[in-house]
Amino acid sequence: VNYDRLELLNRLAAEYVLGTLRGGARRRFVAVQRDNARARRVVLAWQERLHPLALALPAVEPRKQVWTNIETALGFIADKQDDTLSTGKLNWRKIFSWGAGFGISAVAGVLLSLAVLLSNPGLLGLEPKTDGLPASYVGLLTNSEGKAAVLASSRRQGKLLSVKVLAPFVVPAGSVAQLWALPAQGAPFAVGTVPASGKGSIVLNDSAEKLFSNVQRLGVTIEPAAVAQGAPPAALPQAFVLTGHCTKLW
Amino acid sequence: MPTDPKTDQTVPILQALLARTALKDRAAFTQLYEHTAPQLLAVALRIVRRRDRAEDVLQDAFVNVWHHADSYAASLATPMTWLTSITRNKALDLLRHVKTADHANLDDSELALENLPDDRAEPSRLLDAGMAQMHVQQCMASMSAPQRQALALAYFHGLSHSELALQLASPLGTVKAWVRRGLDKLKTCLEARGAV
Repeated sequence: VNYDRLELLNRLAAEYVLGTLRGGARRRFVAVQRDNARARRVVLAWQERLHPLALALPAVEPRKQVWTNIETALGFIADKQDDTLSTGKLNWRKIFSWGAGFGISAVAGVLLSLAVLLSNPGLLGLEPKTDGLPASYVGLLTNSEGKAAVLASSRRQGKLLSVKVLAPFVVPAGSVAQLWALPAQGAPFAVGTVPASGKGSIVLNDSAEKLFSNVQRLGVTIEPAAVAQGAPPAALPQAFVLTGHCTKLW
Repeated sequence: MPTDPKTDQTVPILQALLARTALKDRAAFTQLYEHTAPQLLAVALRIVRRRDRAEDVLQDAFVNVWHHADSYAASLATPMTWLTSITRNKALDLLRHVKTADHANLDDSELALENLPDDRAEPSRLLDAGMAQMHVQQCMASMSAPQRQALALAYFHGLSHSELALQLASPLGTVKAWVRRGLDKLKTCLEARGAV
């Protein structure tokens, strides 16, 4: 590699990180970084050199509103704010959702009757037509390479979560592989521990339906000791070694 | 339990929070914000100079973090470096769009310089700070005054070369040379210390 080009790259990266590279030159250098791993490495080196300077600044506490704005921008609390805005007025959206709710209840009623009939085929003299899987919660966790590592499953109303290790992983001596549920809202909660290989089962405090209906993802961390079921992660959480979606199967 | 994002011990914590944020763990994202937002707001505030704009920058930066936390691991950066880069780039972008041509009010550039090292006066502070911060501060102290001032104004306040020339009442070519030599000196000094 041409020394002059390396020196130029170094100079551009330094002034890019410092902020003195401006206008078209800055935009061009951003484009160069997209395709060029060497440029990204040189930029990273300058970021690690200069950005510790930023830590010398005295911290400034943001106003509470900033976090609310972030949550709103990400759609975490959009509906809440909508409702506040429309207080005191006829809320057509709400009325519509009530109407839709009735519709959904009606459909749910039909489905429930169907479910009762299907699970008790004797009631109408019907015979089961399929050998489909029972209604369950299923989680397939993958490792950092995207390879399926752990399968977790439980009957919808069951209180036993079966765990099968598909690809053994390393659990250091004196540590445990802790399974976590990540709900759509709120903090993750501990479910139980996973064996490093083979099969295992976790007794649930409540039905899978109660515990997992709002859970979108599952994750496994390596912890020094098992965490009580339902408890949140420690203040200093560990990174996930396995993760996957939690899916309803019915 | 907020921790100080300046210390080396917090690196694994922030890495874990970022890894969890990448998986859309909102609780981890909230903790990440609580740990790092005050330090990042300080960065944005120096550059855009108005609290409302700085908070807009912070908001943009964290929305970006939520969407792109999965690219953090590949960046190989330390967590605060990654977060500071996102925040500074947003702040510099905003600075380009709003025409805050008044650079008269830069009195606090001295404040930024005050925060630069004096290891005799504040040994405990340097002990608390991460090693990287200590190295860069001591290397800044080893530069000539104009080099240090040019780098500090560019870094903390986002001044361009021509704005530096105005602010320091010196020819553009001279200012560019201060910046270039200051950067060279910083690199050599940090390498000599076995830092980056």
